[in-house]
Amino acid sequence: MYNLDNNTILEIKNLCMSFGGLKAVNDLSFDIRKNEIVGLIGPNGAGKTTVFNCITQFYQDKEGTILFRNKEDEIVNLNEVHVSHVINEGLVRTFQNVELVSDLPIIDNLLIGAHSLYKTGIVSHVLHTKKSKQEEIFFREKADEILEFMGIKAIKEQLAGGQPYGILKKIGIARTLMSNPRLIILDEPAAGLNEQETNELSDLIISIKDNYKCSILLVEHDMGFVMQVCDRICAISFGKFLAMDTPEKIKSNPIVQEAYLGKDDD
Amino acid sequence: MKTKILNTISLFFKPIIKVLKMYKNKLEKSMHQRFVLFGILLALVPLLSNLDIIRYSTVSLVAYIVIFTIVALGLNILLGFSGLMSLGTAGFVGFGAYGVVYFSSLGLPYEISILATLIISSIIGLFIGLFSLKVEGVYLAISTLAVGEIFSQIFRRVTWFTNAFGGVHYKYPLLFGVVQLNRNTTFILLVIMMVLMMFVMYNLTNSKTGRALMAMSRSNSSAQAMGVSISKYRLLAFLIATLYATIGGILYASFYRYVQPLDWNLMLTLLILAMVVVGGIKSIFGTFIGVFVIYGVPSLWLEELFSSINGVAYIFSGVLIIVVIMYYPYGFIYVIQDTKKLYHKFKNGIENRKNKKKNKVENNV
Repeated sequence: MYNLDNNTILEIKNLCMSFGGLKAVNDLSFDIRKNEIVGLIGPNGAGKTTVFNCITQFYQDKEGTILFRNKEDEIVNLNEVHVSHVINEGLVRTFQNVELVSDLPIIDNLLIGAHSLYKTGIVSHVLHTKKSKQEEIFFREKADEILEFMGIKAIKEQLAGGQPYGILKKIGIARTLMSNPRLIILDEPAAGLNEQETNELSDLIISIKDNYKCSILLVEHDMGFVMQVCDRICAISFGKFLAMDTPEKIKSNPIVQEAYLGKDDD
Repeated sequence: MKTKILNTISLFFKPIIKVLKMYKNKLEKSMHQRFVLFGILLALVPLLSNLDIIRYSTVSLVAYIVIFTIVALGLNILLGFSGLMSLGTAGFVGFGAYGVVYFSSLGLPYEISILATLIISSIIGLFIGLFSLKVEGVYLAISTLAVGEIFSQIFRRVTWFTNAFGGVHYKYPLLFGVVQLNRNTTFILLVIMMVLMMFVMYNLTNSKTGRALMAMSRSNSSAQAMGVSISKYRLLAFLIATLYATIGGILYASFYRYVQPLDWNLMLTLLILAMVVVGGIKSIFGTFIGVFVIYGVPSLWLEELFSSINGVAYIFSGVLIIVVIMYYPYGFIYVIQDTKKLYHKFKNGIENRKNKKKNKVENNV
């Protein structure tokens, strides 16, 4: 029904989203390829988070198409998918302010990420059947693996609440990995981290891409971080597409420079 | 000679202690076994009364605690795990009590009456759940308050269902049309139901469902992004709370065999809420402790001590809620943990002192 280039995992075409009279996203188009890290940058209020919320279907009244190659290699228009089913297609996101369950242990927070993968129903949970127990053990082992990969397995039984911000961000990312995603969307992953944590995070994000064979789309204000991590960068301003290219070319792009620094008057 | 006798006695006791110790380890592992053990201990209460160790009336007091533990567990799932508020709990308890009496009066057997009551109340519960999709927080509390009030008016006015102020009488249940229960066996039925409901709550809240409810209560959007359907789990939370309350009501009618309309008011709802908050949000045994503290302690001891003052129970629970919220915002159950910590500290302190003395003596030598 829909066509998508073989190498493309997500394609946004002519996306428009307005709040009242304000056009937050205006005729935006870009794509993400398989096994690629794409950064979405723009000055404050450029509409980056709005784009995220449109892709993950938190906003309803939008125009344009968002085509996605899902886990079964079928091409779906995400606009036809309910917000809580987006994760089933293989697209998962984090939040700017993490949004974990603070009174659950870290490992249980990861298990929330596997919510959509559980096959047993509520009745077998209540009856504590063998199948439901095995399933629980299976996902706990999987969570163990991911926590080990993220380097926080030692504290898995501690509550998520009260952990330092860097750890919380890691848990947020680890939680997305539980659902076997094809594309992870990270909303300001480096915000609030110190320099060392940011460097650690950039290595981690690259190794996630390689180890879990997925693509990553991220919004970030820390330009050093974005340039270091991303394969390609999409720059937007006032909801409009400016340029999409490799970090070096984006850096020297006059239109992007103008959006960030302003126009020369002479 | 004496030591020989003591040795043989200790030889005899050693295996018993060993078994007890083994069982203790197991108990620490499995909550299920704790629930069962707790149930067995509670089921001994009527026996104590038969042996004249406790008063006859105490049994019905404990029955009240058991019944309202079930109700409070339901509210605990709703409030503690899914973070939703309901002020219509007492209405559903009343509906359960009246429902089972009404269906039995139509000539239906006990089990079928229970089933019919549960089905109707769960439909009403689902309806409120649907309503909860549209309203949040305080507004949800106010609208469920209205539902409770509607129930309370129905109990007073709809004569064919509740016999208005005359109340309705019931009899001890006849199980499967064969086993006629009496006061003591009905009490055991209550305890079995309570243990069962504890099982259900424990299994449910330690599964994907419990985690989904908690994710939903902390952040709707984060839960949705993880694939949790808000509408499904809100409905589920209300359904569970409704079923727990209704089962409590059914057991109330079965044990006390008399239902009257004035009991199921906002006051009762608030007391149940207090039981959950005082006992411990999200804690199963904490809920029991909450019911015991809010209802059991005043009626067991305080009312006799202060018989000249009316309503001392309410004063007591009011003061208690303030104290608990100030010092134990997560519930009374944490008092136990703190006592344990204190005990260990004390124990370590004594050992340290002993060691110091030893060191001193050795140094002196």
